[in-house]
Amino acid sequence: MADPIKLAYFMAVKEGASYLGGLLMTDTSGIPLDFRYTEPITPTRLQGILYGKSLEPHLKEEVIQKTLLKELKSAPDLFILSASELAGGWSGDAKCPVLAVQKSQESPLARVGDAFRAGPRDLLIQLAEGAAPLRVMFAASVDAAAQEQAVAMLLEAGYHMDLTEPLERVGAALHSLVVKES
Amino acid sequence: MLGRVKDAMADAAETLRRAFSGLKVVEAAPARFVMHSHGSPGLQVEGRPGLEPPQADPKAMVLLQDAVEGRALEPFHARLAHEAGWTQWAAGATVVHMEPLEAGRATKMAVPPLPRRTAVSGRVEALARPVARRLSEPLARPAARRLDPGLGAGPARPGLETMLTLAVPFQGEDVQRLPQGLWMRYSLQLVRGTGENVRNLEVLGLFRIPRKGVADLRHDARQGRILLRLEPAALAAARSPFVLARRKDDGALVSCFVEDP
Repeated sequence: MADPIKLAYFMAVKEGASYLGGLLMTDTSGIPLDFRYTEPITPTRLQGILYGKSLEPHLKEEVIQKTLLKELKSAPDLFILSASELAGGWSGDAKCPVLAVQKSQESPLARVGDAFRAGPRDLLIQLAEGAAPLRVMFAASVDAAAQEQAVAMLLEAGYHMDLTEPLERVGAALHSLVVKES
Repeated sequence: MLGRVKDAMADAAETLRRAFSGLKVVEAAPARFVMHSHGSPGLQVEGRPGLEPPQADPKAMVLLQDAVEGRALEPFHARLAHEAGWTQWAAGATVVHMEPLEAGRATKMAVPPLPRRTAVSGRVEALARPVARRLSEPLARPAARRLDPGLGAGPARPGLETMLTLAVPFQGEDVQRLPQGLWMRYSLQLVRGTGENVRNLEVLGLFRIPRKGVADLRHDARQGRILLRLEPAALAAARSPFVLARRKDDGALVSCFVEDP
């Protein structure tokens, strides 16, 4: 029996002057297997000057993401983040395919399980009968072969769960943690 | 350390050698030191009138008044005048007779010689040589401070308990895609499990959820899913098919786990 697929949902947010991030690993039903989060990091004014515009990407990709990945009990099969983070030029070093999933307004594909390539790193996959297809965007580091494998895993998981929903849960959990600590 | 002390000693020796190298030592009987006290007259203040402050001398300006209307220019009238100066000068002039120069009548005059040296009045004191002083206190080196610009995140915290406070949505499986026989089997188990008449039941969905650790269940009819709040026991529990149905007569929800063949 093949190992169950593990999906890692990553989100880093800015709350006031602090940055914190969370990483939720779920199974293909969306049930949480592990969740890690960082304490809020507040850069000093001098650090803000020294890092300039690279402060936020550096914090999210180099500091928060690496710390969270290192703490996970087991390696995920897919590393999923928000479309805006990916569009910003994600350069993290996750060992698995990095991608973003987004609900689309496109007309449904012919059959459940179909995939339509809209670009070198952009695909539409049909997860449910009659529903709008899901848009999948891959990071630049994911080659075509890895994309195919990732799509197969997404189709399997998407049959049982809403692939976009866990990211909302990570955001809600981070928000509750910030409220609790403040 | 020893090298610095040696350098300092060498500097001091060189300084002393240079300071006393051009001096001759003259032995002289020191005169007894007698103290003379001189009283100094007290400072006196002599009042002198200061500069008189400038005083303005007001002068009244007489306005042009009583102006008289000018009359028309009168014509020039010629008048005969008499000048007698030349006549008077000729009458009063005295003729001066110059004696001619004669030998031996000259008088010798002694011209005092110009002084060969001018007297020097006042004396300009030679400028004193500046005394070189050695600054023995070296300037302290500024301490360089190091600021580590690294941003550390610290260890990640486990937050599974926090995550479990949030409801987990479970999508309903598409029962139309299930084999007919399997669905009949599930329906039979639902009737047995709930004790309801199959005609009184409306199936809302088939979900694969943990058999244990479900703390709360809500049905999201709009999206065709159920929202479960799970306990830690649910994470390790086996997933089983779960049928959710509504009684048609009173709208109450009934459910049961069904067994896979």
